[in-house]
Amino acid sequence: MPGGYFGRALVVDLDDGSAATLALPDEVLRRYLGGSGLGTWLMHRLAPPGVDALAPEAPLAFVFSPLVGTPLTTSAKFAVVAKSPLTGLLNDALASSHFAIAGKLTGHDAIVVRGRCERPSALLVDGDGARLVDAAPEWGLTAAEAEASLGDRLGRGWRVASIGPAGERQVHFATVSHDGRHAGRGGLGAVLGAKLLKAVAVKAATRVASADPAAVLAAAKDLRARSFGPATAKYRELGTLANLLAFNAINTLPTRNFTGATFAEAPALAAEDLAEARSVARNSCASCTIGCEHIYAAKGGRTMRVEYENVFALGPMCGVSDPDDVLLASSRCDDLGLDTISTGGTIAWAMECAERGLIDAPWLRFGDGAALLRAIGEIGSGEGLGPLLALGSRRAAQQVGGGSERFAPHVKGLELPGYEPRTLQTMALGLAVNARGADHNRSGAYEADLSGEVDRLEGGAAHVHAAVETEDRAAIMDSMILCKFLRGVFTEPFEEWARLLSSVTGWDVDGAELRATARRIVLAKRMFNLREGWLPADDWLPARLLEETLQIGSGRVAELTPARLRGMIEGYYTARGLDGSGRPTAAALAGLALDM
Amino acid sequence: MDEGGLAGALGVAGTARVAGVVLVGGRSSRMGSPKGDLEWHGSTLLRRTTAVVGRAVDGPVLVVRAAGQSLPSLAPGVEVHDDPREGRGPLQGIAVGLAAAADHADMAFVCSTDMPFLHVAFVRAVLHALAPDVDVALPVARGYPQPLAAAYRTALAPLAEALVAADRLRPAFLFEQCRVIRLDDATLRTDPLLAALDPDLDSVVNLNEPADYEAARAVAAPEITVQCFGVLAAQGERGPRSVRAATLAEAAAAVSLALDQHVLAALNGDQVTRDGHLPLVAGDTVAFISADAGG
Repeated sequence: MPGGYFGRALVVDLDDGSAATLALPDEVLRRYLGGSGLGTWLMHRLAPPGVDALAPEAPLAFVFSPLVGTPLTTSAKFAVVAKSPLTGLLNDALASSHFAIAGKLTGHDAIVVRGRCERPSALLVDGDGARLVDAAPEWGLTAAEAEASLGDRLGRGWRVASIGPAGERQVHFATVSHDGRHAGRGGLGAVLGAKLLKAVAVKAATRVASADPAAVLAAAKDLRARSFGPATAKYRELGTLANLLAFNAINTLPTRNFTGATFAEAPALAAEDLAEARSVARNSCASCTIGCEHIYAAKGGRTMRVEYENVFALGPMCGVSDPDDVLLASSRCDDLGLDTISTGGTIAWAMECAERGLIDAPWLRFGDGAALLRAIGEIGSGEGLGPLLALGSRRAAQQVGGGSERFAPHVKGLELPGYEPRTLQTMALGLAVNARGADHNRSGAYEADLSGEVDRLEGGAAHVHAAVETEDRAAIMDSMILCKFLRGVFTEPFEEWARLLSSVTGWDVDGAELRATARRIVLAKRMFNLREGWLPADDWLPARLLEETLQIGSGRVAELTPARLRGMIEGYYTARGLDGSGRPTAAALAGLALDM
Repeated sequence: MDEGGLAGALGVAGTARVAGVVLVGGRSSRMGSPKGDLEWHGSTLLRRTTAVVGRAVDGPVLVVRAAGQSLPSLAPGVEVHDDPREGRGPLQGIAVGLAAAADHADMAFVCSTDMPFLHVAFVRAVLHALAPDVDVALPVARGYPQPLAAAYRTALAPLAEALVAADRLRPAFLFEQCRVIRLDDATLRTDPLLAALDPDLDSVVNLNEPADYEAARAVAAPEITVQCFGVLAAQGERGPRSVRAATLAEAAAAVSLALDQHVLAALNGDQVTRDGHLPLVAGDTVAFISADAGG
């Protein structure tokens, strides 16, 4: 057995609480590593083809990684992997917390649940195996409350990942949370809700050994030192919210459902000022030395963790500029267990629908913070517009019609993050082709746009290469797993990651092998999606982004034509070994030893 | 090309492309050294002129030099073409430039390299005057016709070549045979941006002698607006502030930054770069952002 692994997954049948061990052979671990990669392999193996994401038979996996439990900074992360109710495709959502460490030290590289509980339950996994307990006392509570309640009931040492009321109601963009951190995207909280599984509690029962502990310790010290340097200063000093004003200055801040790329009221929400007036603390995730969490206080004293994406989605995207409204909206999303990006995107779409008279909600207007809060409340309670909005913008637009599909802000059903594709055209490609849908964590292609090395307003061949490269890097970081906020400290990432992996596992892996691993994982995700009904038209962007231009401050017009996007997608397909319709060629499949 | 392009010049997106042509092949006999090589705020005059023109067009930027002439470093993407014969004057350079640009653009702004105060707004204003029924937009600024600060239809290339072949080497011979709109000072100043940013039309000032160069170097660098964001702002003053800087590197230095791997700049909300040679003109806004911008 390689270091860093147990070589097995625990598969729990929620119908009767029984559990079985699934062996994870060495070659599978080496090919898929852990986290997103191993989760993808598990879904190929365990998900019945065509299964509905919310059906009892649909599996959901908590997947750990070889680095979990080592002293390597930012390694305490886990992936939640399942078919998404929002996209109907593969979804992998990551979070950082002690749940990762305790979960892995139950003695498993992954914990998979399938089936459906008879009643609201919590799954406990420790050295004694798996068992279900009644979670009626926790049903209806927020994730944080449920975590505390179960913690009280179970005693010391248990780490609890829970869903909130949104997950119970199967809102399609509900989260899974632990310790204030969220596996946020894609609605995997709804998958647990459909299984009547309120929470999964884990308790460490064993240890895991690295192949070369001295080398791991040395690498950890080196990485820790580098994590204090200028490459992570932004996260440490202001957090990701520092993006807001910068993005506003360079016309990349999506505003009012992508009708603009600048927000005149952005300074009211800027980290630079909020940090002085509202910041109360800075925290780190488990096993992390960066400390990116910036805790702010809203009116009334309530405190919350603030990130760029939740402020973007609940602020400029909805035209809302009052920081108290935005912070409160973010806090309510956390309470309900809602992904803030999809919440903001779906409500922004609804605001535009209401203003156009497509839905009967005269109270719902861009810029109205009270309306934003009411809409979030209705999503959580299932009242009013709630049932419609709980479907996410794609399915809601399909119901409303009236042309609202063209401005529903999603790719493959997943709402767009706060990166304007018309002024970040490498990112436009990354968003269009990524397996998870519109996502900035599986495709960091914006890095190329913001590097100064490509013309971010004129996508072309250079952008294709950059999009592939950043997607490959994300595939490895999400599978090893390391936090992407560390990415700037690596000068030769694949080679450096290979050395880390070697010291933990004992494998003689090198950078070239990791590059092949990245391609394999990306392709494996696409293969799963193909199996589940992906169509070439799914690799595309919302019509608005291809039909409407942006006049930017310099006087230049930002335009992303369908022909330009198509050209980049074709280039991406070629680079990935896909045919013209986005399906892997036989040569690509053979070369990567997909073993699906 | 970068910001401003056709949108600023023509006010229309998606129309014909515009090239830039910079002539550097003159003998520089009075200056005593090649004008294109002259130092300019840590860069060179040629680098500055090509980049200023590049900011105003959406097509290629071409440099026309004497055959075999050595040039200072140029920004990536700038094409270099040779005059076929030495000593044939500017019309030959115009002909070479227009012919080279014709495959990519319908019109071109043509200028000499020795214009240290050339403003992007001037280039745009002249290009804007090149209406569909006009072949040449010729500024008559500060009392003189400015054939080397003018906009031409690239379709004029064969005519210009024929005139050169016939030893009719003055641009005026070309103007006799095509449709020319002359732009006097008042007409040029009807462009509000140009009137605000280059009211004295210093754009057409050229340098012929060392004294001209010394006088030009004594002029203060253009006034621009700088704003730092994120952790870069935390290290200093927040909000926009005015500084004088002729290049991006000077702007960074003015706010105590260096364009290293951790710092990027966006010019007028447009292209992101860390090219310290990038020329700045009055009215520019530079945003300095962390290189790790993004989630």
